[in-house]
Amino acid sequence: MNSLTLLSVIVFLPTLSAALLLAMAKHGAFCRWLSLAATGAVLLLVTALFWLPGAAGPGPWSMGGSLPWMSRFGIEYRLSCDSISLLLILLTALLSLLAVLVSWQSIRVGRAGRAGVHLFHASLLLAETAMLGIFLAGDLFLFYLFWEFQLLPIFLLIGRWGHENRIRAALKFLLFSISGSLFMLAGLIGLYLAHGTATGRHTLSLAALLGTPLDPAVEPWLFAAFAIAFAVKIPLVPIHTWLPDAHTEAPKAGSVILAGLLLKTGAYGLLRFAFPLFPAAAAGATPLLLILGVAGLGYSTWIAMAQKDMKRLVAYSSIGHMGLVVMGIAAWNSTALTGALVQMVNHGITTAALFILVGMLDERAGSRNLADFGGLWRSMPVFSGFFLLFALSSLGLPGLNNFIGEIMILLGLFRTWPVLATLAFGATVLILVYVLRLVQELLFGPGPAATGRFEDLTAREIVILLPLAAGTVGIGVYPLPLLRMLAEPVRLLLAGG
Amino acid sequence: MTPNLPIILPQIILAAGGILAYGAGAFLPRKRGLPFTIAMLTVAAALLAALPGVRAAGEFAGLVDISPFSRFYTILLALITLLALLFLHPYARRRNFDHEVLYGTLLFGALGMVVLAAASNWLGFFLGFELLSISLYILIAIRREKEISYEAGIKYFIMGAVASSFLVFGIGLLYAGSGTLAIAASLRSMNSAGAAPLALAGLGLILVGTGFKLSLVPFHLWAPDVYEGAPAPITAFLATGTKIALFAFLLRLTRGQAINEFLWPVLWALAALTMIAGNLTALAQQRVKRLLAYSSVAHMGYLLMALLAGGDHGLAAVMFYSVVYGLMDLAVFAALGLMSPEDEDLNLLEECRGLGYRHPLAAGLLALGLLALAGLPPTGGLVGKFLLFTAAFRAGFTGLAMIGIVTSIVSIYFYLKVITALYLQAPEAPEPRPLPGGPAGSGKLAALLLILGLLWLGLLPQGLLEAIDRVIVAL
Repeated sequence: MNSLTLLSVIVFLPTLSAALLLAMAKHGAFCRWLSLAATGAVLLLVTALFWLPGAAGPGPWSMGGSLPWMSRFGIEYRLSCDSISLLLILLTALLSLLAVLVSWQSIRVGRAGRAGVHLFHASLLLAETAMLGIFLAGDLFLFYLFWEFQLLPIFLLIGRWGHENRIRAALKFLLFSISGSLFMLAGLIGLYLAHGTATGRHTLSLAALLGTPLDPAVEPWLFAAFAIAFAVKIPLVPIHTWLPDAHTEAPKAGSVILAGLLLKTGAYGLLRFAFPLFPAAAAGATPLLLILGVAGLGYSTWIAMAQKDMKRLVAYSSIGHMGLVVMGIAAWNSTALTGALVQMVNHGITTAALFILVGMLDERAGSRNLADFGGLWRSMPVFSGFFLLFALSSLGLPGLNNFIGEIMILLGLFRTWPVLATLAFGATVLILVYVLRLVQELLFGPGPAATGRFEDLTAREIVILLPLAAGTVGIGVYPLPLLRMLAEPVRLLLAGG
Repeated sequence: MTPNLPIILPQIILAAGGILAYGAGAFLPRKRGLPFTIAMLTVAAALLAALPGVRAAGEFAGLVDISPFSRFYTILLALITLLALLFLHPYARRRNFDHEVLYGTLLFGALGMVVLAAASNWLGFFLGFELLSISLYILIAIRREKEISYEAGIKYFIMGAVASSFLVFGIGLLYAGSGTLAIAASLRSMNSAGAAPLALAGLGLILVGTGFKLSLVPFHLWAPDVYEGAPAPITAFLATGTKIALFAFLLRLTRGQAINEFLWPVLWALAALTMIAGNLTALAQQRVKRLLAYSSVAHMGYLLMALLAGGDHGLAAVMFYSVVYGLMDLAVFAALGLMSPEDEDLNLLEECRGLGYRHPLAAGLLALGLLALAGLPPTGGLVGKFLLFTAAFRAGFTGLAMIGIVTSIVSIYFYLKVITALYLQAPEAPEPRPLPGGPAGSGKLAALLLILGLLWLGLLPQGLLEAIDRVIVAL
């Protein structure tokens, strides 16, 4: 099997399963098993890629290939996978599998209606295809196709299976995203035509477009068109307002996909497309991006302190962490960029875990309000142990994963932007305040008597959390393999793609 | 010179089929399914007769020009008629108006479209235009007992009469100014040595007349009423076929003509206005058919933008988007027809709630059509928008293209409103109004074909793009 076929199977296996699900609307109970099998198979295949010679090693490695697609416009079906993509598709495959597992009980035939379950799982699987496609696409049109396509399944997930204000949140999410991405379409066409005029060859292949000579008057506009689309997804302050709503209203699986994967597609777009394609404009925009990043970090930390809804609190903390990731990308040096990539993975693991834990509480208590809980350490020791681990990781405790990413970003940043790095460091210290308050009130403080009756985690729930916990501790204690496999692709990116 | 009859075989087949269908009703009134069968066979035969390689190209009697270009549009229009027939049949049968007038008139309407798309002479153009219009007056009001349809028919008639008078007067002036009725020659006479003001005025009037039929803003006010009043499958036929045939004609008109410099500012403004007003008005609609009517108005603006861009790229973009537009507008209106209760077509947004689960196929078709209209993957809408905007940017119409992009963002909201109702909201009344009984087989078949077609255009458009390139090279 050549590498293009293998990658295509990985990307489209979920789509095929989704089509199968839609065709068998009547067998509700069977849906989740099929969905589990499909996401499990994808995870196995992606894990198998790590054993390919060189894949996880320090040297240059990439795989992929292309087929002619719309040759009339120089558009090809090209998938390519380097170590960065490999890491992110591993995260995608893992979180998709967990998204199926966390919905195992909550999305059932009885609750969502007979016709609902297959659509839920089909949406999850289609979202997985879109994310995998985004991280693997080597052609701008293909990338754009997956980029737009990811919106629909997530729109359905939030809007159909979310909480009270789900429809409003889903619409807001979609309108924000599409406003950004249609500008990207304009930018994509602009770049396509500029490249065609300059070289006489019209193409949308990423590799060919790198290093396109651009008119200095036009380049900032094209960069802005791409950056807006990515900034909405990341999300950068001040275009972040869709995120707290979307996260709060989304079902557990939706929050996992949103926080764990969707936000990463924005950061990935920035570092894979916007920066390498428009280096001069990106350099010009660096101060702006850094300021927006640090502003987002500070602002979201401040807002998170006032949140009573735990999901909202985690959502705001997400904005802060992603602000730091953007700073790491914008600094555009090897330490900070590696840190940003590590932090993308970390954030995916930690935030997904926190959303899952809050969702588990919600399932038991029917509430996400912090005031309704207290003293869980006594009644739910296993839950509390996991919660403490992920909360500590989220505030950057040394020895856990987030510390590695944060410290690398800050160190890389400090070299060229000492003042902003100091501000960012100050803001990360403030994260301590709200995370510790969360832990203190939820796990240790006095609470309503009802909290004593909750059942501790079931075996299924522990199985869901274990891989995430392993990742948190593993990356925190021994990050070297991760850093080694990122070194070469980061060097290539910095050298111009 | 003897007329070269074989080259207009598709037109002859359509005309003969129409007469046969009328005759079948008159002489064999007991055979209820006969007119439909005749109509299907006729359109299929016309489609086969238009396939490439069957006949040579040439001009017929100076009226129509049979070229690969007009053949492309003949095939497209026949395909649309075929699909419309498949949707129309169960719809009409359940409501008891599946008589010969319906099918015969539809065939004459299709003939009008095909003639219009191939016209090379102003008389040929007017012939096709009127044939199409008169058929549509009848088709819109075919359920005479329905007040709303009757009203829509009258409205379309009055509007059509105004448009026709503009056209006739315009053609007259153009003839007086240029001395010829051949379209190409009359336009050529205008750019040599200072255009005759008379001819230019004539051309302006002709554009107003076509603007009415294309529902370009500000000539669009009839569209929502007519689209709402006509039976849904007829709306599907009207919204797609008329517009596509007229655009084929406009493409021919603007192809390689220096005259454009007079009209560009006017067409630019028309395109911008149509995109802006169409999309903004659609935002406020609470009834699905009116919403879709304004959306189809807005799409005329996008097509006009690419038409203005001109050149091979603009031409290819308009041709590709014609196909996409035909399939997606057919899809949305026909899907409404499939889900409509007997007494009245599905129209209110609230009535659509939860239909995604009650009618998976029809609602799926509607949703996919809406996604295509919104320009989202995996449908042909995305590829089409990419082509349209690329053509506009390439030709330097950056402002117009940016208007197009911003208005597309606006449009997403109202398309999503319908999808939200279909899939995200629970039905208001527990028991929906039942659908009429009777077979829906051909409607389901057509729905499946349309779904596959929209996905095919979105994922594997290379074949069609190459075919369009071949047509353009032959021009």
